[in-house]
Amino acid sequence: MFFHIVLERNMQLHPRHFGRNLRDNIVSKLMKDVEGTCSGRHGFVVAITGIENIGKGLIRDGTGFVTFPVKYQCVVFRPFKGEILEAVVTMVNKMGFFAEAGPVQIFVSNHLIPDDMEFQSGDMPNYTTSDGSVKIQKDSEVRLKIIGTRVDATEIFCIGTIKDDFLGVINDPAAA
Amino acid sequence: MSLVTDSPVDSSSSDDFASFLDAALESNSSGSSPEGEAEEEEEEEAEEADDDKVEDNRVKRSKVEILEEVVEEACGSTLQGSLEQKLEESAKKDACTHPGSFGDMCILCGQRLEVESGVTFGYIHKGLRLHNDEIVRLRSTDMKNLLRHKKLYLVLDLDHTLLNSTQLVHLTSEEEYLKTQAAPFQDVSEGSLFMLEAMHMMTKLRPFVRSFLREAHNLFELYIYTMGDRPYALAMAKLLDPRREYFGDRIISRDDGTVKHQKGLDVVLGQESAVLILDDTENAWTKHKDNLILMERYHFFRSSCHQFGFNCRSFSELKSDESEAEGALATVLQVLKQVHSMFFDEPGNDPIDRDVRQVLKTLRKEVLNGCKIVFSRVFPTKFQADNHPLWKIADQLGASCSTELDPSVTHVVSTDAGTEKSRWAVKEKKFLVNPKWIEATNYMWQKKPEENFSVDQVKNQ
Ligand SMILES: [Zn+2]
Repeated sequence: MFFHIVLERNMQLHPRHFGRNLRDNIVSKLMKDVEGTCSGRHGFVVAITGIENIGKGLIRDGTGFVTFPVKYQCVVFRPFKGEILEAVVTMVNKMGFFAEAGPVQIFVSNHLIPDDMEFQSGDMPNYTTSDGSVKIQKDSEVRLKIIGTRVDATEIFCIGTIKDDFLGVINDPAAA
Repeated sequence: MSLVTDSPVDSSSSDDFASFLDAALESNSSGSSPEGEAEEEEEEEAEEADDDKVEDNRVKRSKVEILEEVVEEACGSTLQGSLEQKLEESAKKDACTHPGSFGDMCILCGQRLEVESGVTFGYIHKGLRLHNDEIVRLRSTDMKNLLRHKKLYLVLDLDHTLLNSTQLVHLTSEEEYLKTQAAPFQDVSEGSLFMLEAMHMMTKLRPFVRSFLREAHNLFELYIYTMGDRPYALAMAKLLDPRREYFGDRIISRDDGTVKHQKGLDVVLGQESAVLILDDTENAWTKHKDNLILMERYHFFRSSCHQFGFNCRSFSELKSDESEAEGALATVLQVLKQVHSMFFDEPGNDPIDRDVRQVLKTLRKEVLNGCKIVFSRVFPTKFQADNHPLWKIADQLGASCSTELDPSVTHVVSTDAGTEKSRWAVKEKKFLVNPKWIEATNYMWQKKPEENFSVDQVKNQ
């Protein structure tokens, strides 16, 4: 799920960045530091959308660095247990398949793939129904349900399932 | 309960988001276990580690309310329904055997698993582990699938089996010319000599290897298994399989094995009765010798010869190479085809009950079938003759070995033409060959012409 939230961060700046462009410098450093990172609490920071305010700087003893408390608005992405997600399949093998939704890596074990879909090995390994009408292979887009999540400092892992109504392939690149 | 109704969650408000996240985090990490102190600590740690701070006045709520709120938010279904669903799920969790894990979560129920266990399949995906029961299950379903396609498994070693690599600094002056001939790593579609500047290496593919892989992949599901590290394994796979047709994600390096300095089939998702291995190092496969087809080592570079104690000039220095048509890979491909056809085409029981190890043994036994061998000055005196590797090899190849001369003897294997047994062989018009004849026959899986392995007279010892 995406959320638009306000977060706060203390930014440390070297004195060389002070001057007329101070605000720009703080903002660009903030973007560099924060965008694309993960935190266990909020998930993946997709983009900073605005600065609420920049507080008064505090000089650190002995270093000359100054710490500014910055409040900013950002879009974060965090998967939840029970959430339905659309993802792109990255790898298919006999254990199941891996898929990605942005920074999230999802594993769907073959236990959680419908029983009528069978693994086919070969140059392009895939799971296919016996009548061949539905096929999951690399680059397929699937709709899946998250049943477990783990958010690390840099990565988000999920366990997913497609063994439920309205889940599975939503776009098959081979058929296009 | 009252709290939930009078504080509706609005996802655009960050205050509520914070409490919502708290709730989600707690219910996610706790699973079906009762709330404990450990979770509280974990959460505080996460908070400390995190540079960002959510705006204050966060409200801690009781477990029940949290649960309802999260489920309601996430699923959007009715309160009653979601609670029931939740209960059902937790019941399912209790029964789960946790067959494996991904990112420390059970691949079946999604629950966080505290204890790491099972076999790591890092070559498929970082953080994927499977339990023995699950491996057994996967192997047996895969076996049926593979047999339907008339395929077996083939595990291939890299160094000295499919190719030969050297550090650039180890190139001798006589080998410098190779640098102008080697193709860069960016263009791997053809050629057989490659410069891998980033790894400070040069690699020569064994003659016939491209044809070998093209044909073998129709009969086998191919794996790479190397004692090299993962980046090396991937680079070599790119050279051998530039279009990624043969190996897929089945590339195993020493970083992925479970026992140090040993290769094992435990990380190979194939039943041992259907796996063949090509490797030049027998000792790497102590538990799977019966699956192994031993390869004659391919040395192209000087440093490689030197490393194995050969002082002759290398192919690179002689500007020559192993034969394409009669080299080791062409030979072994014929053997593999034979094993494959014996496994699938022989009438009789269901292929699933057959064992490729038995087929290999039978095939090997035919090589010297009908030969009777006597050794002369091959084993040290006092050595238990039937313990000697050559004796054992001859035996595996189907020859009968003896210590006594009699008319039924066909071959005398000797290091010296002057011994009594050697002279007997000449007089009785039996084959007199040196021990290399057995080694060559063993590698080539066919009786080599005896006249190429004559025995010299050792003078005045
Ligand atoms: Zn489980």
